Amino acid sequence: MKAWLRFLPSIIGKAIISETIKKYDIEFNILRAHITPRGGKMLVEISGPEEKESIKFIEEQGIEVNPIIKVVKKDKDKCIDCGACISLCPVKAINMEEDWTVEIDDQICIGCGFCAKSCPTKSIILFE
Amino acid sequence: MKTINEINQKIKDGDAVVVTASEMTEIVAENGPKEAAREVDVVTTGTFGAMCSSGAFLNFGHSDPPIKMARTYLNGVELYSGLAAVDAYIGAAQPNKDPELGLDYGGAHVIEDLIKGEEIELVAEAYGTDCYPLKHVETLITLDKLNQAIMVNPRNCYQNYAVAVNSTDETLYTYMGTLLPNYGNVTYSSAGELSPLINDPYFQTIGFGTKVFLCGAEGYIVGEGTQHSTDVERRHGVPTTSAGTLMLKGDMKKMNPEFLRAATMPKYGPTLYVGVGIPIPVLNEDIAASTGISDEDITCKVVDYGVPRRERPVVKETNYKELKSGKIEINGMEVPTSPLSSLKKARIIAEELKKLIEKSEFLLTSPIYRLPSRGYTLRPLEIRKPSILVRELESKPVIVTHPDENIKEVARKLVENNINHIPVVDEEGILQGIVTSWDIADAVAKGKTSLQDVMTKKVIIAREDEPVEVVARRIDKYDISGLPIVDSDNKVKGIITAEDISRLVGKKMDRGGESI
Ligand code: SF4
Ligand code: SF4
Repeated sequence: MKAWLRFLPSIIGKAIISETIKKYDIEFNILRAHITPRGGKMLVEISGPEEKESIKFIEEQGIEVNPIIKVVKKDKDKCIDCGACISLCPVKAINMEEDWTVEIDDQICIGCGFCAKSCPTKSIILFE
Repeated sequence: MKTINEINQKIKDGDAVVVTASEMTEIVAENGPKEAAREVDVVTTGTFGAMCSSGAFLNFGHSDPPIKMARTYLNGVELYSGLAAVDAYIGAAQPNKDPELGLDYGGAHVIEDLIKGEEIELVAEAYGTDCYPLKHVETLITLDKLNQAIMVNPRNCYQNYAVAVNSTDETLYTYMGTLLPNYGNVTYSSAGELSPLINDPYFQTIGFGTKVFLCGAEGYIVGEGTQHSTDVERRHGVPTTSAGTLMLKGDMKKMNPEFLRAATMPKYGPTLYVGVGIPIPVLNEDIAASTGISDEDITCKVVDYGVPRRERPVVKETNYKELKSGKIEINGMEVPTSPLSSLKKARIIAEELKKLIEKSEFLLTSPIYRLPSRGYTLRPLEIRKPSILVRELESKPVIVTHPDENIKEVARKLVENNINHIPVVDEEGILQGIVTSWDIADAVAKGKTSLQDVMTKKVIIAREDEPVEVVARRIDKYDISGLPIVDSDNKVKGIITAEDISRLVGKKMDRGGESI
């Protein structure tokens, strides 16, 4: 699953993530991170057989876990299917379908925001 | 041989055979041009691309008391008002006068909002005359209330275009979209085999008076567009780079917002996506053959937008089949491609035009004269006082340092020579990094001793063969005070500072030259 983890300033110094990885059999992928002395947030992807247990553990350590279904959303009415966003995506989450409609696969998206910033019609919303 | 009149009769009778340019490609491939010419009467083309050179003449009607508008704004976007009293021309690429909105809401957006039927704020200022005493008006208008709103686009529908890449290690924001560093992506703008002028490369049927589909309404070609050029390299008859262009005219009041869209190329500016479809009457075998062109047979050039000169280096040739596959190969690497024009909309437009003709709602016109197909080359703008190249600047002997030099020693060099920047080079004089007096002060404060830890490794440079103006823009863009000058081997030849540049600008002004 993909989720935003929110850290309070008090736990920034703790090695909760590495502890979680050691404790549970999971793949832990950091997609985006924004950490300041006043706390921080991290977009991560967690997968593996012990996914649920590991999330429970993270929550118990005081990290807020906000699962996300979507990272980006394309406004279908505004988008003109030009495709300018396609080659900017570092993980190939944007593709042109058979009928030349441009589709974004939010399962692959890592929320880097390149596409949103460069869309000429501002049709892509990035969920923060 | 068929004539346009005969084809029109067939259209009226509902007997005309109309196919899109993509369908025609298949028909010609299967049956050959001779058979295709017998079978098909009209081929429809389409494109939906960013066409900065678009705009409209608007007539607002007279106020009471009347005003001779001298400066006119619609939703904060300035129009050109040097026409008669209440006429103005709105250009799609005009940014908003409000820097906050700037590029995000420009002329193109006003045009789109007008066509959508929205209310637009009109502000006009005047100097006042005996016949036009009013000096200021402020009101709301809609498209309906205007007397005329005539779209006149001086340059649309480029016949082929360059394909863009970026060789530098900075992201570039261009009219060809965002270009990632180090050949990170490729962008292209033509619709390839669907594109109008590519299907009639010598303008055998296209000319002044040709009726076209323009943003959902009937439009007309009113001649060749600006920068029209014909004497270019061709492959299969089709130019391998930008060549012919069209000047188009249409009634904005009849347009459909589905076939036109305002856009902003990031950090470049507003532009208008314009949907154009042109019917090509298949009068003979020759025309059948040219409308049968396939993406694979349309060659285009991949050009390096990292070099901000008129003649940008050609990296390689490719074709639209490769481009549309989603990736091409550059220097042995697979690079993802992005179209900038909407291929989906281009197809919808070609289909739409086909339907209109089949329903006898769109008849073809015979042009009064055909677009010129030879004798046009592009002349560059000659600058009387040519750009000064970095190489030509007087540069003081450059003071350099080496990565293993002691910080104290570097500090001494800065002070003794009264300089602020010092390039770090290896034994061969090749640039490794740069250090400023600030870096040194910072290092001393933090107790750092190794130059390696202090120097900036990603150095912004000036190349010897670059015009000084290009370097000035770089200094502005990165907000830096000085950059090393390097030759083609990356050997440091000198240093250029913001002060050097302002001194140069000052000198140029004294000579009455242009400013940078
Ligand atoms: S760049 Fe914007 S308008 Fe173009 S396809 Fe992507 S989302 Fe759609
Ligand atoms: S946000 Fe980044 S990863 Fe997600 S679709 Fe856009 S470019 Fe791709």
